[in-house]
Amino acid sequence: MTKRGKTSNKKTSSASTKELFELAESWFQQRGWKAFPFQKKSWKAFLQGKNGLLNAPTGSGKTYALWFPIVLHYIKNNPEYQTKHKRGLKAIWITPLRALSQEIKQAAERVAEDLDTQLTIGIRTGDTSQKERASQKRNMPDLLITTPESLQLLLASKGYDKTFKDCSAIVIDEWHELLGTKRGVQIELALSRLKTISPNIRIWGISATIGNLEQAREVLLGTNSHAFHNSLLIKASINKKIKVQSIIPDQMETFPWRGHLGIHLLDEVIPIIKNSKTTLLFTNTRSQCEIWFQKILEKYPEFAGEMAMHHGSVNKETRLWVEQAIRNESLKAVVCTSSLDLGVDFAPVETIIQIGGPKGVARFLQRAGRSGHQPGKESVIYFLPTHAIELIEASALQQAVQKNTVEDRIPYLNSFDVLVQYLTTLAVSDGFYPKDIYPEVKNTFCYQALQEEEWQWVLNFITIGSQSLQSYDDYKKVEIEADGRFKVNNRGIAMRHRLQIGTIVSDAVLNVKYLKGGYIGSIEEFFISKLTPGDVFTFAGRNLELVRIKNMQVLVRKSSKRTSKVPSWMGGRLTLTSQMSELLRNELYKASPSMQESVGDKKSVSRELKALSHIFKQQSKESIIPGPDQFLIETFKTKEGYHAIFYPFEGRFVHEALGSLLAYRISLLSPITFSIAFNDYGFELLSDQEVDMQQVIDNDLFTTRYLHQDLQKSLNATEMAKRKFRDIAVISGLVFIGYPDKMLKTKHLQSSSQLLFDVFRDYEPENLLFKQSFTETFEHQLEEGRLQLALERIATQEIVWKPCQYTTPFSFPIITDRLREKLSSEKLEDRVKRMAALLLKKK
Amino acid sequence: MKTVDIEIYHQSFTLHPSGAIFWQETQMVLIADVHLGKVSHFRKHGSAVPQDSIQKNFDQLDTVISFFAPKVVCFLGDLFHSSLNSEWSLFEKWVSLQQDIQIVLVAGNHDIISPLKYEALDIHISEEWQIGSILLTHHPEERENTFNFCGHIHPGIMLNGLGKQKLKLPCFFQSPYQMILPAFGEFTGTYVLEPDQEDHVYAVTQNEVILIS
Repeated sequence: MTKRGKTSNKKTSSASTKELFELAESWFQQRGWKAFPFQKKSWKAFLQGKNGLLNAPTGSGKTYALWFPIVLHYIKNNPEYQTKHKRGLKAIWITPLRALSQEIKQAAERVAEDLDTQLTIGIRTGDTSQKERASQKRNMPDLLITTPESLQLLLASKGYDKTFKDCSAIVIDEWHELLGTKRGVQIELALSRLKTISPNIRIWGISATIGNLEQAREVLLGTNSHAFHNSLLIKASINKKIKVQSIIPDQMETFPWRGHLGIHLLDEVIPIIKNSKTTLLFTNTRSQCEIWFQKILEKYPEFAGEMAMHHGSVNKETRLWVEQAIRNESLKAVVCTSSLDLGVDFAPVETIIQIGGPKGVARFLQRAGRSGHQPGKESVIYFLPTHAIELIEASALQQAVQKNTVEDRIPYLNSFDVLVQYLTTLAVSDGFYPKDIYPEVKNTFCYQALQEEEWQWVLNFITIGSQSLQSYDDYKKVEIEADGRFKVNNRGIAMRHRLQIGTIVSDAVLNVKYLKGGYIGSIEEFFISKLTPGDVFTFAGRNLELVRIKNMQVLVRKSSKRTSKVPSWMGGRLTLTSQMSELLRNELYKASPSMQESVGDKKSVSRELKALSHIFKQQSKESIIPGPDQFLIETFKTKEGYHAIFYPFEGRFVHEALGSLLAYRISLLSPITFSIAFNDYGFELLSDQEVDMQQVIDNDLFTTRYLHQDLQKSLNATEMAKRKFRDIAVISGLVFIGYPDKMLKTKHLQSSSQLLFDVFRDYEPENLLFKQSFTETFEHQLEEGRLQLALERIATQEIVWKPCQYTTPFSFPIITDRLREKLSSEKLEDRVKRMAALLLKKK
Repeated sequence: MKTVDIEIYHQSFTLHPSGAIFWQETQMVLIADVHLGKVSHFRKHGSAVPQDSIQKNFDQLDTVISFFAPKVVCFLGDLFHSSLNSEWSLFEKWVSLQQDIQIVLVAGNHDIISPLKYEALDIHISEEWQIGSILLTHHPEERENTFNFCGHIHPGIMLNGLGKQKLKLPCFFQSPYQMILPAFGEFTGTYVLEPDQEDHVYAVTQNEVILIS
């Protein structure tokens, strides 16, 4: 209760909870709405001073569930709120995507204005101008909408504790998106600091449905923390009806065995678009998005002006325009990527088309939920397969939707790179005393198991750059001052650190601009480096001719040439989640002879599986379709060498690990070199020597014994940890990405992080950051836990080895994949000599 | 340790797996792109590259010198990666231990340390060095009637084998009038070159020099 409240009359005395609720509910009534129970629950919990996690889907009114009580809380503590504005930051709203901030701002402003509060709302992201930032620094808005990185940057500025002193709330929107990432760890660390410097803060997360909601709450609030004990989980049980409809080609026989574009089904999509108000077409990659957009317009020019494209590399203005146009119902169709997965509420969207396997149930459901946003409306989602086998995925998705299976998001543990970055951040601003910060860090979920020695290691790392002080050394980063304060005093180091804050490491991007000016978007260096001036490429739906590259800018002019290249963005390849792979296996088994006999009736076989019958026939002719008790291995020879294909159906990450593991174990039998390819269904070991498969089976090479040791050894030969190390080196500041205007080319960053990796391996293998690259490889890339389960499952199956004459339908997509791992137990010199001999023979 | 002997313009040269070349007629060792000071340079800017790797360069130099026992050591540029830092004193110490060996530096683009500092150590420094028809430089040069030994490029070769195998190795890259040496230093990286018909490529592994084409 405020001082003023006690002495003044009724009008200025603080309002009761009941009055506050009435204020909010009448606002809803004025708009002809009614507050949902979950919204009221959130208001109540917040006003009681609780923290929590709100589980609510996009478009359900989640912003009002948490913004309202923040405003009500302010009204309660400031009875003269309509006339006197109390300055200073009161609440922070974190969003993982900059694109969503505008939407949140509008919703928040509406409430603030309608209730006559004089509350101000500001945005601070990477897009915010220097001038705007400076003015925010002097005078913070009441509600600050920002990203995890920008929040870290605030912690890197002097006197940050004063900025946050009176902050009463922080809301982490789309927490499920951050949870399994290092940006999530950044949030955990920032919150651990805010709990101390903003004593009255309430911490709330908003998450879509994931498998581990309870854990999501624990990660957000901190294991064993007071905040966690004083918290609750609120679920907005809004049940949505979802209907999945596969698009099955009429001519299944000519449908390709591999591919990822799906263009051959373009004609089937057109009637769907024509019959609905607005349709979103979700593609898995940006290049796929560009191609679909281009091809539809080529074949159906009548859509020009009624169709748009939306992906992460398209410039911001265009994206905002597209989002607005969807709301205005002025667009018939939008081809998009995951860039439209989150946030933004699009009521007019009637139909969703998913092109290619979405790989995960949660992602699919979220996309399905983009349509029919009004409660009670049925969401329709069409599934368009890009190659034949993908129809099995469609069939599995049907099951998923029926059973409402969703995946977990696995949080990171002991991310030393993020901790190094965070401590340097604190050292850059006001400096820190380890005795204050250690308990805060230790209370987070990520660092709950942090050991004293590890903490000391990190402190040594940022101060002396190693674990032992040596006489000749130039290392300079964090200094320990006389009173024990850790502080960065070198301005160059402070500036470089601020530039580098942010854990998302992507390929270097170049801005694409017209010669005459006008920004079109950004493009990966990887793609553009393959083009020469005069080449024409498709970007943002336009054909552009490359004129030159200058100062990290790609200068282009419009081109009327029709044949053109489409940029391929390096973006991560998705893997099937364990839930999805299990559903997929079960679907596939239905096509096996053993199941067909036992089931007898054909009802349980879906439309999709029936459409695949000719492929199954071909597969059975050359090999078999495995049943639940069988594990299939196929071998055959082509001009590339000897192929051995294994089919665990566990998703590409598990296959990557299993492939390396098996290659390693086989290579122990005799010196051999493999190249390993994998997709969501199986993996291939390709070699210039024939593998004795009977020996593989007899030696029990699928055993779970010595799994970890074998994996570790097989990984030494592969390059996975090295790739993980790239991000770690950047996050921990070992490698500097560069100044914005003269960005270091990624090639340099790449090679220097790889060089660093080698140097650590040779001279400092106990380095925690080096070791972290392996831990991450095991836990996040290889999913060691899943691998163990997969091997246990395989142990119960009968191994069926089929030597084949030709490539089979199942193996075709795998052996044609060009992304490969390698493993060798041969002497390097022997391999070099053999390759040299081959080279000489060709000449 | 397997070396390879070759003959150029009637002179005999031995290629060493470390990336050094021994010129028998002149008893001279040629070494390119050591990039001393690079590790300290990184450390000075807040990147904690392991210090122990610094010593490796000096160990390698000692290995080569005890193997060939040369009269002259000629560095083909980029001996020092940066401005003066603590590695300079290690270098001074190393130089003082090289008795009866003349050291020459053909300066490269990274060699920005004052020539006076080198001269104080009795190291002769110059832009290029021509001995008969053999021309020693840092940057690759093409000049009539000379054969050029140089560095700068950090050449590497990409090898492809059956079963989609690939290998990237540092190499000596010899074209009709030129030999580019691999980078001698630790923590330096390679740049992949494509050989033509008339080129010779000698790949370098830990213990061997292997003729590729």
